[in-house]
Amino acid sequence: MGPKAPAKQPQQVASQSIPATPASQNALDSLWKAYNDTTSSRLKTVDAFLVFLMLSGVIQFLYCVLVTNFPFNAFLAGFASTVGQFVLTASLRSQVNPANRAEFKEVSPERAFADFAMGSIVLHFFVFNFLG
Amino acid sequence: MFVRWALLLVLGLVSWATAKSSTGDSVLVILEPNLDKDNFSIFFDGLREKGYDLTFRSPKDTHPPVLEHEHAQFSHVILFAPETKIFASDITPQSLVTLLSKNTNLLIALSPKQTPLTSLAPEFSLVLPPPGTPLISHFPERDTPATVIPVNVSSSSPILTQGLAPVWFSGIPFSLQNNPLLVPILNAADKGGEGLWAGSQLGLVTGFHALGGPRVTWVGGVDIFSDEYIQKEVAKGVESGNEQFIADVAAWTFQESLALRIDSVSHRRLNETEPRETYTTNDQLVFSTHISKYNPETAAWEPYSGIDDLQLEFTMLDPHIRTSLPPVPGTPGEYSVTFRAPDRHGVFKFVINHKRKGWTHLQSSTVVPVVPPRHDEYPRFLSAAWPYYVGAISTSLGFFLFSALWLAGDDRESKKTKGSKTE
Repeated sequence: MGPKAPAKQPQQVASQSIPATPASQNALDSLWKAYNDTTSSRLKTVDAFLVFLMLSGVIQFLYCVLVTNFPFNAFLAGFASTVGQFVLTASLRSQVNPANRAEFKEVSPERAFADFAMGSIVLHFFVFNFLG
Repeated sequence: MFVRWALLLVLGLVSWATAKSSTGDSVLVILEPNLDKDNFSIFFDGLREKGYDLTFRSPKDTHPPVLEHEHAQFSHVILFAPETKIFASDITPQSLVTLLSKNTNLLIALSPKQTPLTSLAPEFSLVLPPPGTPLISHFPERDTPATVIPVNVSSSSPILTQGLAPVWFSGIPFSLQNNPLLVPILNAADKGGEGLWAGSQLGLVTGFHALGGPRVTWVGGVDIFSDEYIQKEVAKGVESGNEQFIADVAAWTFQESLALRIDSVSHRRLNETEPRETYTTNDQLVFSTHISKYNPETAAWEPYSGIDDLQLEFTMLDPHIRTSLPPVPGTPGEYSVTFRAPDRHGVFKFVINHKRKGWTHLQSSTVVPVVPPRHDEYPRFLSAAWPYYVGAISTSLGFFLFSALWLAGDDRESKKTKGSKTE
């Protein structure tokens, strides 16, 4: 990522007129490009799921704070659903990521996915019970 | 005279009554010796025609007793002993009050003389004048002495028939104190009496509705019942209203007229038919009651829908709900109301407490527990919670979609997908 940055700079300034400073825009762009290039499609799927969960959680939290927190048990159930699922998916991602192979020697990707699936099933059971 | 007695004998033999009391037919008439029974023949014969059994005795006789072994021997007692100073041992102010607690009705006549009854009258919140001060009025101009007074009958009392002619009265007035159980029947004319004891604040015939049902009527003088006053004219060609007046007074005292009772009381939830042992807060409750009125002509209790201000209270220490209980249009005698149980849980009572002057007091209290909702009785699928439902469901769907993508997309795992394909 380092050697590429100075080469891209003149292109950025010439082609777009944007409110963000060229440096931050450049950093975000390069981050995005680097991410795109280095992560496998499998991990990208996981990341997409994670982003979706985060958005869902944020929406529910904003609704609770801004509109009404009635019924509170439904808010807790919905919010806990997204947060719990996020945690499980994040754990799956870190266990499955080949870059972390050294840390998770005794956990195969299949085992990680099986744990993820079991945990998710149990989480959803509790969520729908508490949702009322 | 003989013809009248013969006619009455025939009527007595026929023995179906035209009007009977709701509490019994036996009447004890305590008549003092210096009053002639024949002088009250119209009144007593009127009672007999209605179906009452009259038993006569004098105040000093011990037989038949009014109270024997704490049991009331008669349903009604007429005390025409206004000047008797000494009664037999079974008639004391205390025994008369005991009779009231046994649901015996009393009709008591007073006089300007002081007797044991003058000490009983204040117990009924009546203030009697000093002894020897009868009611005197010099108006209207008439040829009777000043103590014999024609009194206009007010048309507002539900006890008396409308449009009665003035009645002749002679006796004492009394002042009514502030007791809600007193039922004024006849008050003195505006221009009656002198000095402190003057005007229409004076009662001449006053009823008292004792708690538990029995009725007592205090009459200021016994002459109002006499034949002589019944037959005396108040004006040229106008008969006095005495006969109808004393018949109405006796009918009210003996619980023939204005007698109500609650037949039944029931409660249930709005869309059910049977009452429940407990109700839940915020339930729609239906309360209904059946009320009858005694009809003296048929001697039966008939459903009565004429009470238009009946009220129901749903009470736990204080009334949480106080609502009117209107009659149901199609069903005679039924009164019903639907209301929402309050948001408080606890032990509530349905209370009917209806007291009107002259009418029997209606009182009923039904205890019913109201509990908070059980864990599965709360409302579900609230529209305010849709974002949360959508969030939770989308999370589950996302999880399934993700698992499907994960399992389908990985070439390395394709051999082992069958085992881990959870749903």
